[in-house]
Amino acid sequence: MAFDTSKLATWSLQAREQFTSGARLLRDRLLPRAADVTGRLLRLFAPAPATTGDDTHFLPNFCRGNAIGGIVLIAELLAIVITLVTRRISENLFQDLLLVSLFVQWIALSGAATLCAARRFLDRLPNSRALGFAYLLLLGVVLVVSEAAVWVMWLVGMVGSPRPEWYAYFHIQNFTVAAIINALALRYFLARHQLRQRTLSEARAKIEVLRSRIRPHFLFNTMNIIASLIRSAPDKAETAVVDMADLFRSMLADSENLVPVGNEVAIAKKYLDIEMLRLDNRLRVDWHVGKFPRKAVMPILILQPLLENAIQHGIEPIPTGGTIDVQLREENDIIHILVTNPLPRARSKPAMAPLASERALDNLRLRLESHYGKAARIEIVQEPERFSVAVEIPIRGETA
Amino acid sequence: MRVLIVDDEKLARDRLRELLNEIGGHTVVGEGANGNEAVEKAAELNPDVVLTDIRMPRMDGLEAAMHLMGMENPPMVIFTTAYDQHALHAFEVNAVDYLLKPIRKDRLAAALDKAKKLTLQQLHEINQAQESPQARTHISVHLRGNIRLVPVQDILYFMADSKYVTVRTTGEEHLIEDSLVNLEKEFGEKVFLRIHRNALVATGYIKGIEKSTAGNWQVALTGLEKKLDVSRRHAAAVRRWARR
Repeated sequence: MAFDTSKLATWSLQAREQFTSGARLLRDRLLPRAADVTGRLLRLFAPAPATTGDDTHFLPNFCRGNAIGGIVLIAELLAIVITLVTRRISENLFQDLLLVSLFVQWIALSGAATLCAARRFLDRLPNSRALGFAYLLLLGVVLVVSEAAVWVMWLVGMVGSPRPEWYAYFHIQNFTVAAIINALALRYFLARHQLRQRTLSEARAKIEVLRSRIRPHFLFNTMNIIASLIRSAPDKAETAVVDMADLFRSMLADSENLVPVGNEVAIAKKYLDIEMLRLDNRLRVDWHVGKFPRKAVMPILILQPLLENAIQHGIEPIPTGGTIDVQLREENDIIHILVTNPLPRARSKPAMAPLASERALDNLRLRLESHYGKAARIEIVQEPERFSVAVEIPIRGETA
Repeated sequence: MRVLIVDDEKLARDRLRELLNEIGGHTVVGEGANGNEAVEKAAELNPDVVLTDIRMPRMDGLEAAMHLMGMENPPMVIFTTAYDQHALHAFEVNAVDYLLKPIRKDRLAAALDKAKKLTLQQLHEINQAQESPQARTHISVHLRGNIRLVPVQDILYFMADSKYVTVRTTGEEHLIEDSLVNLEKEFGEKVFLRIHRNALVATGYIKGIEKSTAGNWQVALTGLEKKLDVSRRHAAAVRRWARR
């Protein structure tokens, strides 16, 4: 058989043309649409921008257009799935899809409208109860719409009676599917809400940590003191500025950093020098620092917050001030730190909120835990006129 | 103007003094290191303006200002503060002037120029806006134009009669113009317990609760011989407190 090469060339040309035009169609028409759909899907699943109103409640605002758009999209996808997996109910697939879509959209939109109407009420409930109520409401909507659908079919003459033989099956089937789909949807909203809450509270915690470290009150008071010293004692002002710089550099350092014990003591002393400028002769400190192996290290800023706490709650509230006792020693590869401060007379008002102290020590406890697990200890001893914090941390960095 | 400077940090007081010198036209009549000194010195020196820090030991600046407002001729008060988010907002809302540390010379001059007298109402609202609104640490008693500060922890009881409230400490008795309802609300029942329509007693001084020969309940206080009657209406509450 003779092989007609010219015919083959024409075919291949035609095929190529068809292929390119198909590709063009794909590129020009379908891709943007697909991108659009993907974008919508992504937007649907992306956490909504946090507004103050949405902060505490997990249900999206179903009164808003974009939420309803999302609902319609999901409902349509569900309708397609249902049409594909169920047996035929009419002559062809598209008519099936049309009927199923009509029904599913009806339920979905009624559900959204119900949640929109009930929003005020649901928002006032605690989350767990709002969840339960929303679920019941949605199931109720399914029952009502299913019943209404049967009546509509009877009225238009599609079925012979308002109680066709598949009546019970229809209700049970719809109810079961709705129970599952709604549970999934609510579960998704709740998870999204929890994720958003966690992100928010993590961000807040980070700011809180930074603020508790830098303590604005201390910062601005010291600036004021430095402004005063620049006139009267420029050399002292210079030292104070340099000390502040060192102190803030370590405050901004990664809290994972380990520093030699000597450095930590040096930073603490610089901090105390600044506080002594501020508090004048009200602050006295007794240091008892034992011998440490040269390579012994500890997490940065463990000692300084203890001293800050002692000053804030033990020295500042007492008009005549007092003495802070600081002990650091090493024993059996454990670093022992003990900071003791006097307390103001009982029942007199502390100048600062007492909670701040607990918060500062809690922060320290958390940090020690993350560094050493159970190996580190922090213990608080409160007596009527004395307050002490003992910290024990395993020595590290020693090359045995 | 005659200025009284109050701050617990000596260098902060020095700075204000120097800035006032540079501005000129003002005399620093005295300095104080806490709220108590602010009130005592103000009563003694009669300044036109008190420049006071807010956070100070013993008595803070806000409370000191409240006591000052009780004076016959109260001074104007300008607050200075390093950082008190809550208080600052309240200052703005109540149109009370304040200076932020580090203090600027021009701001200080402007504040002195337009300084005006505060009202107790303004101070109360600022106190309410604090992170934890605090009760007074002292009660101010006015004696012939002078102010006496009685520490709240020294008070055994408040007793009301028709017009005044008697403040009783171990050694003294004073009259103040206040109401038991206000005092009760301010200090709460942890500090002062209502035992009678006309009496609030300090819980810290309650030695015991006993039945008198006449059959009614009485409260015995440390450092006080006489026993105070518990009214029938408050008996249940007092005994409930005692069980805790």
